[in-house]
Amino acid sequence: MLATESRIAALERYLARAGGAREVTISGWRRLSGGAVQECWAFEVELRGGALEGCSTLVLRTDAATALIASRSRAEEFALLHAAFAARVRVPEPLFCSEGGEGVGRAFFLMRWVDGIADGATLVRSADWETRRPNLLSELGRELAKIHAMPVDAGLGFLGEPPADPAAHRIQRYRAWLRRFDDPHPVAELALRWLERNRPPPIPAVLCHGDFRTGNYLANEDGIAAILDWEFADWGDPHEDIGWFCSKSWRFGAYEREAGGLGAREAFYRAYMVAGGRAIDPKRVRYWELAASLRWLLLALQQRDRFLRGGERSLDLALTGRRPAECEFEILRLIDAEEGA
Amino acid sequence: MRDLPTGPQLEQIAREWEAKGIAGLPPKERAVAEAMVERCKAIARRESDAGEGALAPIRAELAALYGEGEAGLERLAAEIRDGMLDAPSARRGRVLALLRALTLQKLSESNPRFLRAHGLGCVT
Repeated sequence: MLATESRIAALERYLARAGGAREVTISGWRRLSGGAVQECWAFEVELRGGALEGCSTLVLRTDAATALIASRSRAEEFALLHAAFAARVRVPEPLFCSEGGEGVGRAFFLMRWVDGIADGATLVRSADWETRRPNLLSELGRELAKIHAMPVDAGLGFLGEPPADPAAHRIQRYRAWLRRFDDPHPVAELALRWLERNRPPPIPAVLCHGDFRTGNYLANEDGIAAILDWEFADWGDPHEDIGWFCSKSWRFGAYEREAGGLGAREAFYRAYMVAGGRAIDPKRVRYWELAASLRWLLLALQQRDRFLRGGERSLDLALTGRRPAECEFEILRLIDAEEGA
Repeated sequence: MRDLPTGPQLEQIAREWEAKGIAGLPPKERAVAEAMVERCKAIARRESDAGEGALAPIRAELAALYGEGEAGLERLAAEIRDGMLDAPSARRGRVLALLRALTLQKLSESNPRFLRAHGLGCVT
């Protein structure tokens, strides 16, 4: 990324052009916390003239120095956000996208700021949120049903054709990811074999968010304010998003609240189905929960390699390299449970 | 056999962050960075305290199953990948027990709180 002053000046010029404004002034430039995969920056902007005239707070989302192999481009993520916004899913309003990264140095898109808290540990553990968690859970069930019903039009052509067998498709991808690591990961191999041997019969794929979990939504006093981070969206079995949401990795220590650390699975399932989501098969969710532990294991190894090989001297990335054992623990436990050990 | 980064690599990154001045960060970011620095040091310390001795029984079992040398874990992974351990068998049981022991040892160094939350306490 360029130095802050030149980046801001470039962004002012870009916004003037994209927003048709006579004059643009940016202030309060700040990096948002979180986002190990992408970088997010917030700023206040005053536009004189054009469709966005007035003062507002915007968020710029851009690539980090190195990317995960599964991560979509910013242009694709912008298109997904646009489709979600059009389908009335609660997301930040997407505004402009620059694939060339004009002046900023990397591809980016801009969206409106949404007030809320994303920090999973706060939402799951703080007493301030205790009485609001059941409502958050219901709203999340409804939002996920909306996502899974999103029309996939020409603007999302990059998704390609839906796979005939979503589980087989996903296993193939995870096998390819695992092959990229030089060091052996026998528990990951075990999970892959189990997933291959216990593949459920295919059901029609839907657009899945791909990272629908606590930590990736904004909540405020009104409830769920926005579903964030669409960079992993893809065709998939709808149970895949549900399994990811319920995975132990995303309960932030509140293991007994199996749905995202917020509450009981049944409440989440009910809200999803009442809102029009397809009937949930608990056995299929368990399958995808095991797949979720494998996926997080593989993503953690990719994050590790950004530290070990990509030259990113990040504490967060370094520590993520020591997290696969948590996934291995869960994979072994789930296989034991499924095999009746 | 342990996950990467190694303990010394974690100590190194913690020192780098301390040297470049965590104190200058805004309060919220500083608290997060300080916690991560402490976590890196704690993992390195636990790993050093456990030493190679903690892995000795696991290495011995690996050698019994796959022969002496450094490639035991690779052979184990390949055996699983090739479907040789799909069916229930005494060998599969031994391999799963070995993997459980290794996972618990790694967690006791990287995240003992996770183990406590699962009622497993300290295994070293």
